[in-house]
Amino acid sequence: MSAIEITLLVFVLSCALATALLRDVLGSIIAFSAYSLGIAIVWVFLRAPDVGLTEAAVGAGVMTVLFLLTIAKTVRPTDNQTLENIDFRALGVAVALVAVLSTTLFALPPVGAHDSAVATDNVTDYYLEESYKETEVKNAVTAVLAAYRGFDTLGEAVVVYSAGVGLLLVLHKEAFE
Amino acid sequence: MNEDTNEANEAAVNDSRIPYVESPIIMATVRVITPFVFTFGLFIMFHGADSSGGGFQGGVIVGTVVLMLGIAFGIETTRDWVGPKLPVVFISIGVLAFLLTGVGSVILGGGFLEYSVYGIHHASKYGIEFVELAIGLVVSSIVTGLFFAIAAGMRNSGGETV
Repeated sequence: MSAIEITLLVFVLSCALATALLRDVLGSIIAFSAYSLGIAIVWVFLRAPDVGLTEAAVGAGVMTVLFLLTIAKTVRPTDNQTLENIDFRALGVAVALVAVLSTTLFALPPVGAHDSAVATDNVTDYYLEESYKETEVKNAVTAVLAAYRGFDTLGEAVVVYSAGVGLLLVLHKEAFE
Repeated sequence: MNEDTNEANEAAVNDSRIPYVESPIIMATVRVITPFVFTFGLFIMFHGADSSGGGFQGGVIVGTVVLMLGIAFGIETTRDWVGPKLPVVFISIGVLAFLLTGVGSVILGGGFLEYSVYGIHHASKYGIEFVELAIGLVVSSIVTGLFFAIAAGMRNSGGETV
């Protein structure tokens, strides 16, 4: 890992901690926004610009605006405490969960490894070699999403539709009743 | 829905705490930047076929245009201008356009989303771009709708909604 990557990871982790620990909700939201921006850059480092673009637009952009609108309904804590009190039992559970999930990390190939399943798989080769001839789009990710796995993407669009319309209905009801 | 708009209008008239920023900096910035952001969003949507990006990312960026207008010109004003039904209509049009593109190729005797049966020039390239646009329409309308729905709660700014 280069120095810039380590700096980025430290920045992301400290922003995540600040989001959880800051008592002032506005500060917490700003820390969360910075965290999203950091994660977006991490995605670019991992050669996933599509995901990075999504994270930057949704996480750092829209979510921050929606959160800022939401905190208009909250009150600022009156005491002068800067950080939230830590619930050590909850912290224990969270650390244990992260430890259990981290055991899977050792099964993953290193980033960019030549012999990882993603690089050697026949399906990957097929998409990379044939997708331009078959779909005429240069972005293999888009080819997979909108041509080879179009049915999945339709399912996703319908999920977004149902979730969105359901939320709009509930929120409108709450706002006007 | 009629009740809703009436109530919204009344609230806009009566409530002095409408979230409206009379800042010349914000107004000028939004005026200058909005067309570029909108174009960038469309670019990401169309260009998703050939480089990184796509309907989802472009849709969110186009959705933020309405958010910026809302912040600059007052959320209530923008909300009345957009209307309560338009986001839901756009979401439905997007999903239907995607669905019909997919089912249409089945009806014409191909597989699901088999663009070549439509018989247009570069069918699959333009077909994929059309589908990306439909996804973008869904996503941008949901972003807009959520923004207005959450902002509507601000009118009862006491924080206690019954």
